[in-house]
Amino acid sequence: MARIEADDLRKVFRRPDKGPGLAGSLRHLVERRYTEKAAVDGISLRVDAGEAVAYVGPNGAGKSTTIKLLTGILVPTSGEVRVNGIVPHRHRIENARGVGVVFGQRTSLWWDLPVRDSFELLRDMHGLGAAEYRENLDRLVEMLQIGDLLDSTARRLSLGQRMRCDLAAALLHAPPIVYLDEPTIGLDIEVKDRLRTFLRQVVAGGTTLVLTTHDLGDIEDVCSRLVIIDQGRIVHDGGLRQVIETYARERVMHADLASRPVSLSGVAARLPGATVTEERDGLGVAVAFDPLAHTAAAVLSALQQEAEVVDLRIEEPAIEDVVRRMYAGQLDAAPGERTGT
Amino acid sequence: MRRNLWLYRRCLGAQLRATLEYEGDFWIMSVAALLTQGMGFVFLWAIFRAIPQINGWRFWDVVLIYSLVALTEGVAVLLAQGAWTMAVTVNLGGLDTVLVRPFSPLLQVLSSQIGMNGLGNLVLGGSLFVAALVHVHATWTPVRIATAALVFACAPLVKIGLNILTNCSAFWLKTPWSMFPFAFHTLGELARYPLGIYGLAVRLVLSVVLPYAFMSYFPATAVLSLGSAPWLGLLTPVAAAWCLLLGRWAFRRGLTRYESSGS
Ligand SMILES: Nc1ncnc2c1ncn2[C@@H]1O[C@H](COP(=O)(O)OP(=O)(O)OP(=O)(O)O)[C@@H](O)[C@H]1O
Ligand SMILES: [Mg+2]
Repeated sequence: MARIEADDLRKVFRRPDKGPGLAGSLRHLVERRYTEKAAVDGISLRVDAGEAVAYVGPNGAGKSTTIKLLTGILVPTSGEVRVNGIVPHRHRIENARGVGVVFGQRTSLWWDLPVRDSFELLRDMHGLGAAEYRENLDRLVEMLQIGDLLDSTARRLSLGQRMRCDLAAALLHAPPIVYLDEPTIGLDIEVKDRLRTFLRQVVAGGTTLVLTTHDLGDIEDVCSRLVIIDQGRIVHDGGLRQVIETYARERVMHADLASRPVSLSGVAARLPGATVTEERDGLGVAVAFDPLAHTAAAVLSALQQEAEVVDLRIEEPAIEDVVRRMYAGQLDAAPGERTGT
Repeated sequence: MRRNLWLYRRCLGAQLRATLEYEGDFWIMSVAALLTQGMGFVFLWAIFRAIPQINGWRFWDVVLIYSLVALTEGVAVLLAQGAWTMAVTVNLGGLDTVLVRPFSPLLQVLSSQIGMNGLGNLVLGGSLFVAALVHVHATWTPVRIATAALVFACAPLVKIGLNILTNCSAFWLKTPWSMFPFAFHTLGELARYPLGIYGLAVRLVLSVVLPYAFMSYFPATAVLSLGSAPWLGLLTPVAAAWCLLLGRWAFRRGLTRYESSGS
């Protein structure tokens, strides 16, 4: 069953066309001119129950606008949208009962209230019974480790703490659909990891998820479907694995060494197919490798045979790289993929 | 309806807790409200020292009208101050979170702030109101008491409805300032005095276009049986319902234009 159905959705923003400075603003008062911009330009999308969709694209592509259309926050300029069988912007309250939303840049918690009070207000708005609320809250508190945060006001929370509380707020009523718009923006690696683990659990529990992000790490283990949007249009819609395997295979391991010299050719000989380069004046090595050909452990052990490794980090390709590579004329999608322009 | 009222109270209560975090503001605002209203009263008193009657209205009659404005303002500020947050909320995209909660967006906005300075207005307005009721020349028959209870109770709803209506201009103006609705609020202050002292245009505006006069002058005419058409004051409940419905209509129209904000 399709949980989310969008048909040829369009959203046009009209922006005042002002010249620069005060003079421009004054002229606009007399002679009103506008430019129209289609932030979302004919998007059709079906998401089935239990699917986890990664919704990615460059800045300004229209991701957030799409989410706002799907959640009923914005009224589409044209096109149709149905979520859980209802039109979200016509039945906002009914829609809100069945979805959870997190906007990474904005909190839905009451700023000056203890987090617990925000949760209780949401409990009452959703009409949750005491037992149901307790159970959901306990589960979320444990998974997100926010037990210590419940008594501080949202104002006092750090970004990572606030984001975890916001996720809990969005999931309190156990909605069948969850939209997350850049839930990991600005978070450090440790918090990101915790959130990703949490998202995996949510998806495993059968929740339908739509997730926008600029970070490939967010979606790799969470989502099974990848939708790429650019300039308001869907340019790719298909399985996530194939895309990552085709365009984002390469990992780069950066290793810091205790001393030089290291024999680059020696390392390269142990790792056929990998590219080995020197870094930090010989005190570091970068190995670009295909994880299907060599495991990270194998790369590390090859390095250790040639030098003493004191530190290392593995760099994953960014979504932007993936998108750029797909654009670079190599859009030879795997069979069974839906690809459009 | 009952659920809505209950949730409204819950939201306001939460807001009260949050506001009490800023205790200093509370005192400053309350004193400011007392001073503003108090100065208006002194002004009235000074006028009536010079002329004993204005259009057949004696001092305490006018004090009653005046106190009703302070009272309605107090109630509106205390219970529905959120209307004045609309400009900022709309401009900064703050409605996004409101619109994905299962509770009437308008009621969420209205209950999103509690103006403690409303207490200052209520205290001063209440004292003047009681003093005026004691001094006006009226015989308090049961019918008159019932009429008074009804029209005075509906008066604040007129102001709240008009606050919603004028603040909804934010959806069209899209600026983060409430100057436009504030201009109308100031216009509404004209309803502190008997309508008869104004020209036809002002009278029309205050009684028909934006019927601010129904928060003070008309209810007072009905209770005191003064003015050219005291029966008009009995329409206060109708005016209240009309203003609230207009406000709700404007808010709903506004929501279809709401554009959130980039990012
Ligand atoms: N409220 C608005 N008014 C006018 N233009 C808007 C508004 N919201 C978005 N836009 C424009 O629509 C386009 C898409 O914006 P959107 O926020 O959907 O992009 P995005 O894909 O979420 O980008 P990002 O990755 O930067 O978050 C942008 O060009 C933006 O300037
Ligand atoms: Mg965005």
